Amino acid sequence: MSAAPAVVLDGLQVRYGPERPWVLDLDHLTIRAGERVALIGPSGSGKTTLLRVLNGYVLPEHGHMAILGRVIDPKRPRETWPQEERLRVGFVFQDFALVERATVFQNVLWGRLGRVRALPSLLGIFPRADKFAAMRAILEVDLRDQAAQRVDTLSGGQQQRVGIARVLAQEAEVLLADEPVSNLDPVLAEETLALLATLSRAHGATLVMSLHQPALAARYADRVIGLRSGAIVHDGPSGALDEAAVRRIYRPDSSATKAGESAVKEMVDG
Amino acid sequence: MADRRELGLAYPRPTLQESVARASGVVLLVVLAAWALRGADVQLDKLQTGLPRLGAFLGRLFPPDIDAATTVFGATVETLQIAVAGTLLSIAASVLLGILAATNLTPVWVHQPVKWLLGALRGIPLILLALMFVTIVGLGPFPGVLAIAFHSTGMLGKFYAEAMEGARRGPLEALDSAGASWWQRIRFGILPQVAPDLARDTLFRFELNFRDSLVLGLVGAGGIGFYIQLYARGFQYAKVATLTIVVLIVVIAVEQLSVAVRARLR
Repeated sequence: MSAAPAVVLDGLQVRYGPERPWVLDLDHLTIRAGERVALIGPSGSGKTTLLRVLNGYVLPEHGHMAILGRVIDPKRPRETWPQEERLRVGFVFQDFALVERATVFQNVLWGRLGRVRALPSLLGIFPRADKFAAMRAILEVDLRDQAAQRVDTLSGGQQQRVGIARVLAQEAEVLLADEPVSNLDPVLAEETLALLATLSRAHGATLVMSLHQPALAARYADRVIGLRSGAIVHDGPSGALDEAAVRRIYRPDSSATKAGESAVKEMVDG
Repeated sequence: MADRRELGLAYPRPTLQESVARASGVVLLVVLAAWALRGADVQLDKLQTGLPRLGAFLGRLFPPDIDAATTVFGATVETLQIAVAGTLLSIAASVLLGILAATNLTPVWVHQPVKWLLGALRGIPLILLALMFVTIVGLGPFPGVLAIAFHSTGMLGKFYAEAMEGARRGPLEALDSAGASWWQRIRFGILPQVAPDLARDTLFRFELNFRDSLVLGLVGAGGIGFYIQLYARGFQYAKVATLTIVVLIVVIAVEQLSVAVRARLR
């Protein structure tokens, strides 16, 4: 990859309140532009926190971070990471985070709020170019026939596609997805991840997603990062994710039960 | 069969502390009732001995004086206009104050004082507000509109704030990550979510406003209240009867309309 790395983190430490334990304690992490990365690890391992740091929702207490070549000072987020820069990073949510009473088109169009002039938008007036971008994104996720429908009339899989269309309309260069398919059935989960992988490649965007199933991570990412207790315990190409690696990420202690053993096997075989 | 000894354990029972708390609750309620009934001079036998006089009172209402209908109808329309104008003014104020009072939208040093302000508005009796505005702007329906607007903002602003506080966080975060400003997040993340709640609250408040504005005329702030006092003090009970019938019809009509609209919101 040519351009600056999408993400560079160094000595990053995050916790929710002073005196609390570190939720995230990373030595170093670089994610190249255009890479597709899956974060896996047990609940509470820091996957979501890492994604929220990359989105600017959670600020690290210590450490250096650069997003898309821009150095960000966590002590002065507003100055070093203004809104118009932050919107180069888009977020796809586990629970879709859509305005359910609004239509598909409105939800996707609102992905452009940071790119339009504020006052006309508040009156409901959007430039033609922005409406065009929203519609194009809707076509890309194959929701042409649902564009005018209210989101609460759609299925879960369709709703997550609206969420994906929204970050496409936002023209985000880094796509963060927090458990994007954990609310979907297995077939829809595969379809949705395939769509995310395809679209991020088509747009040259970097994809960083947290996933519950190592098998899905191996299938839809180029690189799999395993987190445990806020630290990186595995980092490698998705082909290298074998049973031993999964065991190391999820069950480092030797007291693994029989049920745990077969679960690990299943996770890898998927 | 159903012998708990088979299970080898006792059924969970309330602790002594829970039992004591429950018993003291009942005692407290009894004491409270006794205190209120004595203090407010509630004597049911008075009601019984006085019952025959009710017949005489109702008899004087009949037949209703139809001649008064046009006057009464005009005043009722004015009351309705006061209620509509007051509610509209209150909506504007309540949206603004509701946003400022919502704990998820403003810092504590903004929403806490605004919540206090709304509480104070609710606390002032309507009739006092009406008297105040009659003093300021003179007699007529206008002080009535102002009194209704101020009074109902106390409640409507609180309801709007609570509706917005109940909005899901997800869409707000999503719009924030798309670069939306504070106003844009409220306009696109909050308002579409809570619109049916705001409409329901507003219609309910309008029903209350209409009934509240019936009494405004008592202090010269326009509407039907003026005739209520005029006829009642002049012992013109036949006209009072007409007035009651007209008011009853309009109140029921307004409520039915409001209920029908609220049922359609989703």
